[in-house]
Amino acid sequence: MEPPVIDVKNLVKRYGDKAVVDGITFSVGAGEIFGLLGPNGAGKSTTISILSTLLSYDEGEVKIGGLDLKKGAAGIKRLIGFVPQDLAIYPALSARDNLVFIGRIYGLTGNALERRVHEVLELAELVDRANDPAGTFSGGMKRRLNIGAGLMHKPAILFLDEPTVGVDPQSRNFIFEHIEKLNKEGMAIVYTTHYMEEAERLCDRVAVMDGGKILAMDTVQGLIGLAGAGIIYLGVPCESLETTQRLFQSTENIHAIPASEGRLKIETTRVDEDLLRVIARCKEQNIPILSLELLKPSLETVFLHLTGKRLRD
Amino acid sequence: MIINQIFALTWKDLKLFFKDTRAMALIFLQPFLFIVIMSYALAGLYGSGGKPLQMLAVNEDGGKEAENVIKGLSGLKGFSVQTAWEGAPLTRVKAEELITKGTRSLAVIFPPEFSSVLEQLPTKEDRPTAKVLLMVDPATSSAVTDPVLGTLQGLVERAAFTAMMPRGIDYLFDHYNMTDMQVGRNDFKKKAEDSISGGLLGGEEKTVTVEKVTPRAMKVAKFPDSFQQNVPGYTIYGVFWIASLLAASILREKREGTFTRLMAAPVSKAVVLTGKLIPYYLINILQIVIMLGASALLFRMSFGHSVAGLAVTSLVLAASATGLGVFISAFARTEAQATSLTVLLLLTLSSLGGCFVPRFIMPHALKVIGLITPHAWALDAFQDLIVRGYDLTEVIPKICVLAGFAVLFFVIGVGRFRFE
Repeated sequence: MEPPVIDVKNLVKRYGDKAVVDGITFSVGAGEIFGLLGPNGAGKSTTISILSTLLSYDEGEVKIGGLDLKKGAAGIKRLIGFVPQDLAIYPALSARDNLVFIGRIYGLTGNALERRVHEVLELAELVDRANDPAGTFSGGMKRRLNIGAGLMHKPAILFLDEPTVGVDPQSRNFIFEHIEKLNKEGMAIVYTTHYMEEAERLCDRVAVMDGGKILAMDTVQGLIGLAGAGIIYLGVPCESLETTQRLFQSTENIHAIPASEGRLKIETTRVDEDLLRVIARCKEQNIPILSLELLKPSLETVFLHLTGKRLRD
Repeated sequence: MIINQIFALTWKDLKLFFKDTRAMALIFLQPFLFIVIMSYALAGLYGSGGKPLQMLAVNEDGGKEAENVIKGLSGLKGFSVQTAWEGAPLTRVKAEELITKGTRSLAVIFPPEFSSVLEQLPTKEDRPTAKVLLMVDPATSSAVTDPVLGTLQGLVERAAFTAMMPRGIDYLFDHYNMTDMQVGRNDFKKKAEDSISGGLLGGEEKTVTVEKVTPRAMKVAKFPDSFQQNVPGYTIYGVFWIASLLAASILREKREGTFTRLMAAPVSKAVVLTGKLIPYYLINILQIVIMLGASALLFRMSFGHSVAGLAVTSLVLAASATGLGVFISAFARTEAQATSLTVLLLLTLSSLGGCFVPRFIMPHALKVIGLITPHAWALDAFQDLIVRGYDLTEVIPKICVLAGFAVLFFVIGVGRFRFE
């Protein structure tokens, strides 16, 4: 079995007394797209910053490409590409000059540099605007250039920190396609996001994070299976909330708990069938249904199952 | 409704403003500091409670006449005359040394023959003459030295006239037949004028002259013009503004995340910071070259004898200004804060350092405080080279102090520097 390109064991990062990354363990295989999914403040960006050599850590062991992060950071920097959440490009410089600068930082010169700049401009579909200042680009174009800058030195591992924030749907699709393409070429990718759709579409495996911990980690299908199939939000009058909850307490495959504002959260493994059952039981007991929301099986429902809150709360 | 909305908007911005301590410092503290510093600095010129102009007086005269002039000078408002230094009467050598060191900027020297020249019998033929010297530091503005020169000239002429008049009258009585006075009135008046003045006032050559000179240790071919006196100060003032650009650029890189990207690349922090500083250092040097070069071309300004001295001073000055940029960027959190901090620091340092007002006319306390500014040392080094005619070896101590400021700024700035 091929050794993982990233191996993280019991990683801890503290700010003062607060552990923002709290003993996480995971590994990423060669050619894998690994997702870190969680809301803002979950510890995803801190984790990716540690793996990108930007932040130190307090406890644990991290190996990237077989190199220990604490001892071999210089070697690791050559293996990895980092695309930060911020648009880390120089708006006054042209797209070409931005890429030339990054290429030189990674030691590219002469024809090799020129060739690579052209390749990345093509990859980012910015050849036509190569000589325009990056500050004049649309949000999507800036994001593409931002990603392109992270690819200049053809890294074996790419860290993408929320790369689609503020991007229009067209550019988002473009980014997805290129990530998939890079992955097919053998690049391992670690992708942080709080958009479950992105994790579902791109990632081979996903670690769900909250409060600095990994709550669950599996393939997307595995995670959905873990959480049950789906969630029904049932809105009833406040005075009927307890009665309604008791109604489903002994029902097979249904788990009902109070949610916010007079709603019950009903987790079920067979959403379609159980939805009809829920409606029928309420009708039998003369409990008026004020609202009904159906969340189909997804990472969103997994997150709800694991944390009791939505990803974008 | 509209009034309420305007009120709400006004309230919100006032609240935001008063929460921003740096903005408050810029708006309130900076002008106040500027007013205080400039008012104190200029107190000597405008006389609003300022100390009188300090002047050394060397009396080599064997007679009483120089003493009388010194008394007259001491009695004038605005002058403080010292005839002794550390308990001993001042000598020409000591006065020269004090001016060369920059302890004092003016000294009047009365020659040994001063009284004898004034007390001579006023005849037009073979009159001995005397020269009173006003020794000045050439970096002293002519706006200060010229009025001093005029005052001294007036006092010396009055002393000469007072000394010569009795002898002139005696001469008249000895050489004129007083019985003819009513007959030759006009002839008498002519003879009386010649006798009293001895040509002192009307003759082509004055009996006593006052001449502005510099200490011999300073190799000054001619007195500096206003460009030589002003260009160094304003150049230094301008050079330090690079600190604002550098600090803002560093903070912009932090804000835009480009520093973060660089930190993930195989490049050390030292290299990133060095690469960041070098362009601003080069821009700074270019700025100095342009400012001095333009002054040379447009105003035909002379820069003294030492090209090496100018070059080394400029290089160290640029390092100090660039260092200040790193220092500011380490303390400011945003570009706006960097700008306000720069304005506050630079106006204060430039004022105290003598870029706007010569330090020698400042009160003693401000002169001492001025020494903790790089501006004062840079200005002194430039004036040594341009105005006082010194060469590189003679300004090395001042360049070393300036380099010390550069090192201090870099050490504190880099020590506190955060790439995140």
